[in-house]
Amino acid sequence: MGNMGRVKLNIDGTSVKVREGTTILEAAAVHGITIPTLCHIKDQLPTGACRVCVVEVEGSRTLMGACHTPVSQGMVVHTHSPKVVAARRVIVELMLTAHTGDCVNDTNAENCVLHNLASDYQVGAPRFNVRAPRFYPAEEANPYIVRDLSKCILCRKCIRACSDIAGKNILSIGYRGFRSKVVTGFDEALTAEACRDCGICIEHCPTGAMSAAPGFKARKVGIVR
Amino acid sequence: MSAAGKETQSSIANRAELLPALKQELGKNGNLSKTVLTSLADKTGLPLNEIYGVATFYAYLPVAAAGKNIIRVCGCLPCDLKDAQGVIGSIKKELGIEPGQTTADARFSLEQVGCIGACDQAPAMMINDTLYGNLTPARIAEILKSFK
Repeated sequence: MGNMGRVKLNIDGTSVKVREGTTILEAAAVHGITIPTLCHIKDQLPTGACRVCVVEVEGSRTLMGACHTPVSQGMVVHTHSPKVVAARRVIVELMLTAHTGDCVNDTNAENCVLHNLASDYQVGAPRFNVRAPRFYPAEEANPYIVRDLSKCILCRKCIRACSDIAGKNILSIGYRGFRSKVVTGFDEALTAEACRDCGICIEHCPTGAMSAAPGFKARKVGIVR
Repeated sequence: MSAAGKETQSSIANRAELLPALKQELGKNGNLSKTVLTSLADKTGLPLNEIYGVATFYAYLPVAAAGKNIIRVCGCLPCDLKDAQGVIGSIKKELGIEPGQTTADARFSLEQVGCIGACDQAPAMMINDTLYGNLTPARIAEILKSFK
């Protein structure tokens, strides 16, 4: 397509030319620059819920979400500037605060992308005290899937995977604010009647809130980024 | 095309009509029970979880078993500064229920909600569709009596 519809920008000091409509995240990936994400699903519409992909765009008042910001002509982007790293650290810290999972001591912690991110960014123990922690008992009503919503960070990947990829529409966000929660049916247990063994939510879950039941090891948590 | 893009025209139209439909069902049935939402799901072709998600987002669409009269005490800052907690305490004393609960005779449900837009009359509450402003803990018993 020649130069028509091509956009030239600068990412971390490298001059980059990509197709118009490309997101900053995609443009960076093409040139080997990895921007962390939690809620993003490749080739699906961006959600922009988790905010860990924020980057600094020169001339912009605020940090921008790389997964949902399209590139523009002459844009100068910093994906790992001190300002970006400081923001990401707090974003991860805030998510850890509401993430009451056991990944800190868990041998399966490699399954928890949030835990890995906290470790990469040296976040440490969250400073914030949640008055009423988001705690839900783990749910084993389904022979294929164990749901532990205490680990859920509300990234909505399972919802998008279930509806937009598998075409099933079993999961939604219910309630609001601190009480927000991924619900099925009339906020009921995820039974085998409602959900069989497609396991797409398990593959997409970055924190192991949805995991394969023992004896059903076909799916690995968080392998789809 | 993604699965979402394949959605039928009617289910998208029904999604736009969901809030009015929920309001209508609430007026007809007094609350949004599982039966009510399930039949709405059948009628609109939208999944029950989605309808439940929309309904639970709004304080004025009660999905829990609600009492005949719903008391909504404003929980925002101006009301709080004007002793909304005292008002709630007084309601607790009268009815013996905490916010989020319904009396045993199902006459009243008590909820603490976001701003009801009556800051000039703080502390304020609504019982069903009626606004009660400039409340004092002492006025509560009298107001509740009119609903007995």
